[in-house]
Amino acid sequence: MFWHNFKYELISGLRVKDVIIWLIIFPIILGGFFKIAFNSIYEKTTEFSAIPIAVTETEKNEVFHKVMSQISEGDDALFKVTYAEKNEAVKMLDKKEVYGIIFTDGGLSLSVSDNGIEQTIIKTFVEQYIRQEKIIKDTAMNHPDKLDEVILSLGNNVSANKNIPLTNGNTDYFITFFYNLIAMVALFGSITGLHISISNQGNLSPLGARKCCSPTPKSISLLAGLMGSYILQIICIIISITYVAFVLKIDFGNRLPLVYISGIIGSLMGVSLGFAVGSFGRMSTKAKEGVAMSVSMLSCFFSGLMEGDMKAIVAEKAPWFNEINPAALISDAFYCLNIYDDYDRYIKKNITMIILAVIFVIIGFMLTRRRKYASL
Amino acid sequence: MGTVVKIENLVKRYKELVALDHLSLEIEEGEVFGLLGPNGSGKTTTINCLLSLLSYDKGTVEIFGKKMTPVSYDIKKQIGIIMQNVAVFQELNVYENIDYFCGLYIKDKNKRKQYVEESIQFAGLEDFRKFRPKKLSGGLLRRLNIACGIAHKPRLIILDEPTVAVDPQSRNKILEGIQELNRKGATIIYTSHYMEEVEQLCTRIAIMDRGKKIAEGTKDELKRMIKNTETVTIEVLEVPESVLTELENIRHVYKASFADEKLTIECSGGKHNLIRILDVLQKENISFGRVYTELPTLNDVFLEITGKALRDKED
Repeated sequence: MFWHNFKYELISGLRVKDVIIWLIIFPIILGGFFKIAFNSIYEKTTEFSAIPIAVTETEKNEVFHKVMSQISEGDDALFKVTYAEKNEAVKMLDKKEVYGIIFTDGGLSLSVSDNGIEQTIIKTFVEQYIRQEKIIKDTAMNHPDKLDEVILSLGNNVSANKNIPLTNGNTDYFITFFYNLIAMVALFGSITGLHISISNQGNLSPLGARKCCSPTPKSISLLAGLMGSYILQIICIIISITYVAFVLKIDFGNRLPLVYISGIIGSLMGVSLGFAVGSFGRMSTKAKEGVAMSVSMLSCFFSGLMEGDMKAIVAEKAPWFNEINPAALISDAFYCLNIYDDYDRYIKKNITMIILAVIFVIIGFMLTRRRKYASL
Repeated sequence: MGTVVKIENLVKRYKELVALDHLSLEIEEGEVFGLLGPNGSGKTTTINCLLSLLSYDKGTVEIFGKKMTPVSYDIKKQIGIIMQNVAVFQELNVYENIDYFCGLYIKDKNKRKQYVEESIQFAGLEDFRKFRPKKLSGGLLRRLNIACGIAHKPRLIILDEPTVAVDPQSRNKILEGIQELNRKGATIIYTSHYMEEVEQLCTRIAIMDRGKKIAEGTKDELKRMIKNTETVTIEVLEVPESVLTELENIRHVYKASFADEKLTIECSGGKHNLIRILDVLQKENISFGRVYTELPTLNDVFLEITGKALRDKED
């Protein structure tokens, strides 16, 4: 009886157009848009990542000039150099068009008007240059063929100060959008869970009434339905993660199998959430679908799907909410996996998701297992 | 022949509204039992209480001699239910839908396959096996609904207004099918507010109104309960009041009325009523057109007992 129910619940679930649209096509399209949008942001970031500086050459310094030319060329240029007279350079500094002015007046001197990472980089560069000036000059005179190499090492040393990674993982700000996209797919499973609940209640659907009249115990029918929905949802989440990881080439770190596991656990939680929502009250199917979608989208909103900083705001104002927000739990599990070398936080997030899924299923069963209705 | 369904003193209230008021029914094996009544009379509520879908305030329900509860799976195995609303999976095709519902009752795959095929043939859905419900017409959808309910060959079949919004051709097909099921041994409970269907199908009928059973018996027994045995209608241009009085003085005529150029005379028993009526009209020099007589219908029964028509005007 169970397998008979399971088979048809799965078949009918796979044929629901909404499932294909919302759980497969929509995330693929949205993921594609994210990729396109963030790629253009990356390009702009790269374009403007060269730090604008002004150079005032009171005294001509050929070697420094060559160094500056080389260090401000190409896609990974460290500086965007403007040669200007002192007055003009000071004006540019005042207008914040440049972060600093380097004066070549026998030696090198630096003028900055503010403190910040860019100013630190310029300062570090100047200090390094002064320290290595003799080497550079010697190389220029005695081994000009190796000058490029020396200058490159100077640039690299300075760039190292620009970004000191705390982790081996991908700390990219935009990756959280993809985490939340997968969380959204997992929570959209609430729609399939919702229908399991409705289609087994005699007072909510004719199908439920017919099932209630059959000799199949409701618990078996519910379990088979839930199992079918879980499988369906797992298929969808695997497709989504695979698409994001392998087609969009989003870097989830080097523990991808665990990403799939968290996605699957998140999916079970999503279906269970819908099952619980569907069991409450006597609202119409459409109204309950609205509630389930709203809960899912709100959960994703507070997790940062629409506004990247939202999760940080929630963490500051109501940190407890991130610990129970289903979407935040899913995206945090991915984040922990990517950032931390140990598994403590990752396991904690997954256990919380399992506990929530169990609670939702218990609520659903308690409300759905009613055997007689006061009204139909 | 034993009692299949026994309902005693069933009371169901929705707050102040009494939906079933001390209803008692007994349905014997092999019967086609009709529950007839206007919308809101309590027919569907009776069925839902009978199936233990609805809780009730008072009374007992027994099916096949056992108390019916939501977990009476051994009883449920022997019941086929066709609800008023079509209850099928929109994503499954005709064959899959019937197989799904049949599978809730029959575990053996080979037996089920045979039953599903028989059910498809019974409902005349052979050409639509692979069709999904949304591709079916209203009549075919109703037939699918019935096929899903009877595929497991139940001993008791409950049909709750199965022909609502069905075209005449499909309706006839459905009614013929129900008669065939009965011939094969199934006991049928049939609810409807279409008196013609109930008259055509049912061996015994209970008429309900406002949650009460107001009459019960075979259609002949019900018709004998009322005064009206024959209604004579004559097309005339005009009838003076004095003639109406004279007509009402004829033995067995208890009411004569004139409206819309039609003279209607209601008789209670007796023979040669028509001859006596026409004699009066000839004597008064009233020329007339077509003359026809009608035997009483269940609507007349309902009308006489409750003072209102059984069917809504739009029906």
